[in-house]
Parts: sequence; structure tokens; C-alpha cells
Amino acid sequence: MEGIFAIWQRDILKFFRDRSRLIGSFAMPFMFLILFGSGMSGAMSSMLGGSEAGALRDFDFVEFMFPGIIGMTVFNTAIFSALSVVQDKEFGYMREILVSPMSRVSIAIGKVLGGSTVAVFQGLLMLVFVPFIGVSISFVTIIQLIPTMFLVAFAISSFGLLIASTLKTTQGFQMVIQVLIFPMLFLSGALFPLNGLPFWMDILVKINPLTYSVDMFKKIVFDIDAMTPELIEAMGLNLSIFNHVISFTEEVLVVGAISLVFVILATYKFSTTEA
Amino acid sequence: MPTIVEVKNLKKRYKDFEAVKGVSFDVEQGEIFGFLGPNGAGKSTTINMLSTIIKPSSGTATINGYDIVQKRNKVRSSIGLIFQASTLDEKLTANENLMLHCKFYGVAKKLREERIQEVLQIVDLTDKRYNIVETFSGGMKRRLEIARGLLHYPRVLFLDEPTVGLDPQTRAHIWDYILKLKEKAGITIFLTTHYMDEAEICDRVAVMDHGALIALDKPVQLKKNVGGDILEIATEDNVTAKSRIEETYQTEVLEKEGILTFQVERGDEFLVQFVKEFEIPITSVNLRRPTLNDVFLNLTGREIREETVSQKDRMKQGRGH
Repeated sequence: MEGIFAIWQRDILKFFRDRSRLIGSFAMPFMFLILFGSGMSGAMSSMLGGSEAGALRDFDFVEFMFPGIIGMTVFNTAIFSALSVVQDKEFGYMREILVSPMSRVSIAIGKVLGGSTVAVFQGLLMLVFVPFIGVSISFVTIIQLIPTMFLVAFAISSFGLLIASTLKTTQGFQMVIQVLIFPMLFLSGALFPLNGLPFWMDILVKINPLTYSVDMFKKIVFDIDAMTPELIEAMGLNLSIFNHVISFTEEVLVVGAISLVFVILATYKFSTTEA
Repeated sequence: MPTIVEVKNLKKRYKDFEAVKGVSFDVEQGEIFGFLGPNGAGKSTTINMLSTIIKPSSGTATINGYDIVQKRNKVRSSIGLIFQASTLDEKLTANENLMLHCKFYGVAKKLREERIQEVLQIVDLTDKRYNIVETFSGGMKRRLEIARGLLHYPRVLFLDEPTVGLDPQTRAHIWDYILKLKEKAGITIFLTTHYMDEAEICDRVAVMDHGALIALDKPVQLKKNVGGDILEIATEDNVTAKSRIEETYQTEVLEKEGILTFQVERGDEFLVQFVKEFEIPITSVNLRRPTLNDVFLNLTGREIREETVSQKDRMKQGRGH
């Protein structure tokens, strides 16, 4: 047990020590939210044809993007947390860990928990953008966000560890992650509403774990009950499979199940690592 | 002295290459046991098997009474490991590295502070405790690693080439620490090296070559077995001189870089006689006591340092050269 804690603690310690990483982590969300988001918002509302009156006058693209950006940040941080596993292999520290009497399972769990915690911190840091984009976030919302972020981060960290356990170099890891990150992001509804997609793309969206993760954040951040059906439709907030609109609880179960599968696979794969 | 490491016919096979060909030996508690041999002789592979990093293909070994395959975690708690390459987290402080190690090895909470102070004192790093490891010199990092390896009070400390890549002064310091350890903690030290002078410090030395143990004894005894002294000469005609010496004195002469080397009994008396009698003009003469390098030379016909061929090459060449 203490071993899990020690592995976790090391990740947290290093996260807070690495200032440049902390500051750098704002770069991507800032670009998407402020530059891309603000730039696109005019075009978006005119495309939706509801700039003056009509049912869609409340549509604000930057606001729409905000939960997606939280999702993206949690996702990026969680998956890149596994990079430390590959780095530890390269710089030798992994040997110190692997020759200790700790079980491989504890090490893997500690790593996943460390990555998840760091991802939650990063996700929470995104709340500094709140005053600039006009969404209102209550204390209750934050309390709801934290466990949700953790659940998502846990799934993605496990996924990252699974990939990291099969690769030996940081370059290799970064390559694989880059190839995975963008399609998963684009097909998650984080950056634009997923409406009127071609059938094949719709399938990809539905099998993307990130879709459900991002949708959970949207459901927490937006007050959907107060929205008109047209707005809900335009913002893609009616995620459904086979005409069944998926509830928050179902999404928790889906992401939870995905977590379980990934953490088992990752732990198994990591256990076969030779020092 | 009780036995702390027992190795019986340990083998490691990689596909068609046998890295370790069935070695057997015992290490007694409290001794400094050295593994000497050229790179690729199987020293590290043996140490890696003993320290549970890799599994042996066959054979058994016990450390502190625990089987290295069946009781891996017990073995891991009983040993400390210092690798050739650094395994410190350089972004953390010395203290953090040590604290994490205590947690990995389950050192009781109330003992940690005391142990950390103790091991830092052994390696003279007390005043660097809260510094980031990145700022340390190579020698300091090595010392910190040794300190860390001691935190959980291992019964056996494995040091794989502990001083490789360090300057002579730092090497000497590291050895002071190792000897201090032996005296103070009664810890058993198991090390590999290809430095002759380091092997001399060991209580017993096992000489390894091509995956097999070819000699195991006290350094003094090993050198005695070489027989007599070593005479190194250069002449104006080495080829003739070589055959002449071999004929006259019935001894094997090795030629390398223009120097003829051979063994003689009572070297000082022999030398006087030899210089007087030998017809071919001699350009230089050197008489010395045998070193462990001569031991290796005597056993294998090669010098330890010559060994730069890769493992693959050696596989092709086999043993007979």
C-alpha cells in the first residue's frame, strides 16, 4: 500500500516542481479557447443563422467549447503522464522501482493514480478561464467536476500506461500519442458540435471513449434544463445510441467500464516489464 | 563464517548463445567478493540473475537463505543494488530519493529519519541532503546511490562496476566508503569490476571468462599460482629471441607490441644470468611481480583489456582462441 502511495507522491512532487510544464499546460487550452474559439464564434453563429433573434441566439461558441477544453486538458495530461514511465526506463529510475520488493501491480496502480491526480489538478486550473468567457460556474459544479475528471483521467492514464508499457523510447511514445490524440479529440465533440455527421464518422464518435467523457463535462457545466430544444440540438447535447439518449449515469458506467478494462490490461502489460 | 550466497550450476541461455554456462560458488557473510573478467564475460548477467532482475534458464541460487526464483521479493528485501548506470531521480533532492526508497522497501516510518542521517554520513553527503541531485557531480551521485542502497539494511550489497567512469581520486574515495561499510555494518559486498587494482582489494576473486568461472581464490593465492615473476623484454630481433627463449628455458613467451613476456622462477637471480648469457642485443628489461592481469593472461592467454569484441563476434569465434 505504501508503495502505491510513494509512486503517486513522486508524480505529484514532480508536477509541482516543474514550473515550465505547469505554465506550458495553459498554452494549448488558451489557443483553442481564446484564439480559435473567439475567432470561430462569429462564423459559427452566422452559420447557425441565429445571430439576431430565433431559438439559437443564446449559442456562444466559446462557452460551448469550455467543457470540451476541460476534457481535452484532462485527456492530454492523463495520457502524457504515462510518458514518465518511458522516461524512467530511459533514465534508469525504473530499475530502482522494479528491483524493489513492491509488486508490479502496486507500481502500475500508483502510476495510474499519480497521472490521474495530476490531470485533475490541470483540469481544475482551466477554471481560471471562467471569468473571461462568461460561463458561470458554481461551487457545486466544481464539486461535481472533480470526481468526473478523476474518473476520465483514470481511464486515460491507464490507456497511456498500456501504451507506455509496450514502448521503449520517449520518441516512440510521443509519436503514437500524437497520432491518437487528434482524431480522438476531433471526434469527441470537444471542439465543435457533432451534428449531421456521415454514418462512418458517427460510428467512430460513438466508440470514442472521449465522447462520453466530454459529454459528462458538458452536462455538468451547462444548465441543459433551461435550454430550448433547438439549442440543445445545435450544441450536440443529445448524445444518443440507437435513438436512446444517454444519461449521465450511463456515461459514468461506460467510462467506468472502460477504466476497468484499460487498468487491467495496463497492469498486466506492465507486470511483464523486465528491469 | 556462514554462507550468505549459494550458487549452484546457474545458467542463462539467450536463443543460441549461452551467456552464463553453469557457475557454482558460495559467498561468505561479511566478505568482499569480486567478479573479475572482461566485458561480456557474463559478470553482469550473473549479478542480474542473483538480484532477481532476470530469471535463470536453469540452476539455483539462494541469497540470505531465499531462493532467487521462488522468493523473489524476500531476496529483493535482502539485497542492495548499485547499477553501472545511474538510477537516481535527478529532478528530486537527495532526501526525496532516499525517502522514496524507504517507502519502496517498507522501512518503518520511525526508523527513516535516523537511517537517512546514518547513510548520508557514511558517504559524506549530509550537507547536500536537500539539494537537487541534478546539481551533483558524478562522484556525488555514485555516493548517493551507495547510500540509498544501504537504507533498508541489505545483507548483501551488489555493486556492478561501482567506479566505472569516475576519476581516480573519486574512485579511491568510493573504495574508502566500501571498506568502511564492510567494517562497520558487516555487510557482504559482491562486486564486479574490470579494474585489476580494485579486484586486489577483494577478499576473494572469481575470474570469469566466456560465461564460465575459471578461477576462484584469494588474490594472493591466484597470483601465487601464476608461478614466479614476470619478465618483460624487448630485443633487436624479437622473432629469433622468442624461439631462443622458448627453447632454452622451456617457457611460453607472449609477444605484444614489441614486448616479449614470460614467467620465471626467482626473477632477480634469473635476470642477472639472462642478460649476461643472451646473444641477441636487449633494448629494454622490466621485472615485476605478477598482477591479476597476469592471472587472467595465464588462464586464458589473453589480457582482460584486449577484450573489445562484441558478444556476437565471440559467439562466432567460440572459446578456442
